[in-house]
Amino acid sequence: MIELRSVSHWYGQVIGVNDVTCTIGPGVTALLGMNGAGKTTMMRLITGQIRANTGSVRVLGHDPFANPEVYRLLGYCPDVDAFYETMTGREFVTLMARLAGFSAPEARRRADEAIDRVGMSDRADRRLAGYSKGMRQRIKLAQAMLHDPRIILLDEPLNGLDPGGRREFILLLRHLADEGKSILVSSHILFEVEQMTRSILLLHRGRLRATGDLRVIRELIDRHPHRIRIETPQPRALASRLVEWPFVLSVSLEAGGEALEIQTREPDRFYGSLPELVEQGLPILGLSSPDNNLESVFRYLVEA
Amino acid sequence: MIARVLFVHALRDFLRFRRVLAWLLVIAGVAAAGWVWAGLMGQMAPTDVYARLSSILTFRVLPLAAAVFATAVVGQEVEQKTIVYLLTRPVGRPTLLLSRAAAAALVVFAIGAACALAVALAAGLGSGVARSLGQDLVALAVGSLAYVSLFLVVSLLLNRAMVVCLLYAFGWETSVGNMPGDLYHLAVSSYLSAIGSKPAPTSGNPLLDLLSSQLGLNLITPQRAWTVLAVLIVGCVVFGTRWFATHEYVPREDAE
Repeated sequence: MIELRSVSHWYGQVIGVNDVTCTIGPGVTALLGMNGAGKTTMMRLITGQIRANTGSVRVLGHDPFANPEVYRLLGYCPDVDAFYETMTGREFVTLMARLAGFSAPEARRRADEAIDRVGMSDRADRRLAGYSKGMRQRIKLAQAMLHDPRIILLDEPLNGLDPGGRREFILLLRHLADEGKSILVSSHILFEVEQMTRSILLLHRGRLRATGDLRVIRELIDRHPHRIRIETPQPRALASRLVEWPFVLSVSLEAGGEALEIQTREPDRFYGSLPELVEQGLPILGLSSPDNNLESVFRYLVEA
Repeated sequence: MIARVLFVHALRDFLRFRRVLAWLLVIAGVAAAGWVWAGLMGQMAPTDVYARLSSILTFRVLPLAAAVFATAVVGQEVEQKTIVYLLTRPVGRPTLLLSRAAAAALVVFAIGAACALAVALAAGLGSGVARSLGQDLVALAVGSLAYVSLFLVVSLLLNRAMVVCLLYAFGWETSVGNMPGDLYHLAVSSYLSAIGSKPAPTSGNPLLDLLSSQLGLNLITPQRAWTVLAVLIVGCVVFGTRWFATHEYVPREDAE
């Protein structure tokens, strides 16, 4: 449905995306990358707001740049938090439906349906200027799907949504994917993406670093030692116990603090064994993993 | 149908309460200034008083309004980042641009017409003044289209076009009529004054002549004025439409 071939785009001397080649088919695909990785540029190339400096972008076989035919089949939820602030949510979504070519009654019907789908029916008649970030995200989602598009592009759609809203959104996404739609969701939070899909495109500094199943990338990550930081009032006692575990590669005490850092190649087994320590009377006040973020994923991938 | 939706949406945006209030104040200012000035020009014929006030006030407000509204057609959408919603709908870019530009031109004409009416009332609305007012309304309609299409092109080409348009409106357009030589051919106002009401060549008051841009020559005939303005409007619209359809417009922070 979406095809990019050797696509590059520059903003003056700054590169947005660099020689990206990929295809995106039905189902949910996550576009993963840190801030500034080129996710929004890629979204804008696919939505035809900007042109590739080199290479080609095809959406359903068409060049998307300023192409109304493509926009009939494509819904886009931008990352920018911008609206016609004096309008109500319902007026805004209805206007977007009118601009999609629907008659006034049909536009109202579709707007009501989309607003209901994102759980905003009871607040849709308030002015957009008074909406919270989460409410604005929901309205952006509503306008992206009101015309029943075959392709939906969502740029950082979970920003500002509360946990309940995120759960509802992920369910909605799965439902849309089940209907056969192609959905491209961008995010810079690995944990979020894992809840949505296993199919990913990984962008780093404008380049496509990995594509495919997130599990494969996870396995790749797991081949490298995984760091875990443990906060405890008894770091030495805990360290002496941890070195006995065969899957722990190293243990180091943090200077002056009540914490230690371990390295393991089997983080799942390590986490599964932690309750034993607590049962043995070794208190654990906190756990964190500096490797459980996108930056470490990129580091692993680049090193690999 | 979509063109009408875009036109109405733009019109509503341009006629937001705060904006309308600001322009009502401008029109009230024009009326007050006209009233005072008409009193000072008591010895002149009402038609000449009207023509002079019109060139000093009405035809100065017209490019100002055009600069504000023409640059809002695309520039405002880029600035407030809502352009993304318009450009990702199944609407042809020419339709999008022309619908919004038409709304801008209508608002600019309405402001110009209100100023002209205020000035006519200040000058004393007799039959001669009414005839001049009718002539000016035609010139204002053409002028709205000319200024809006010209400033629209500027706003499509430059990021912060409002400053350039205001400099042009207040700097070039107001001073070129007083310059020697043929430079007046390069100002829209010279052609509009050939179509609209014309003040007497000299009032005997140099300051008044300077303010109403009467110090230089203006040998443009109405026929030539119509031709040049038509070419300007069509040329700017065609160029602007083509440019907008083939260039990238993204929210402002990303455009820099």
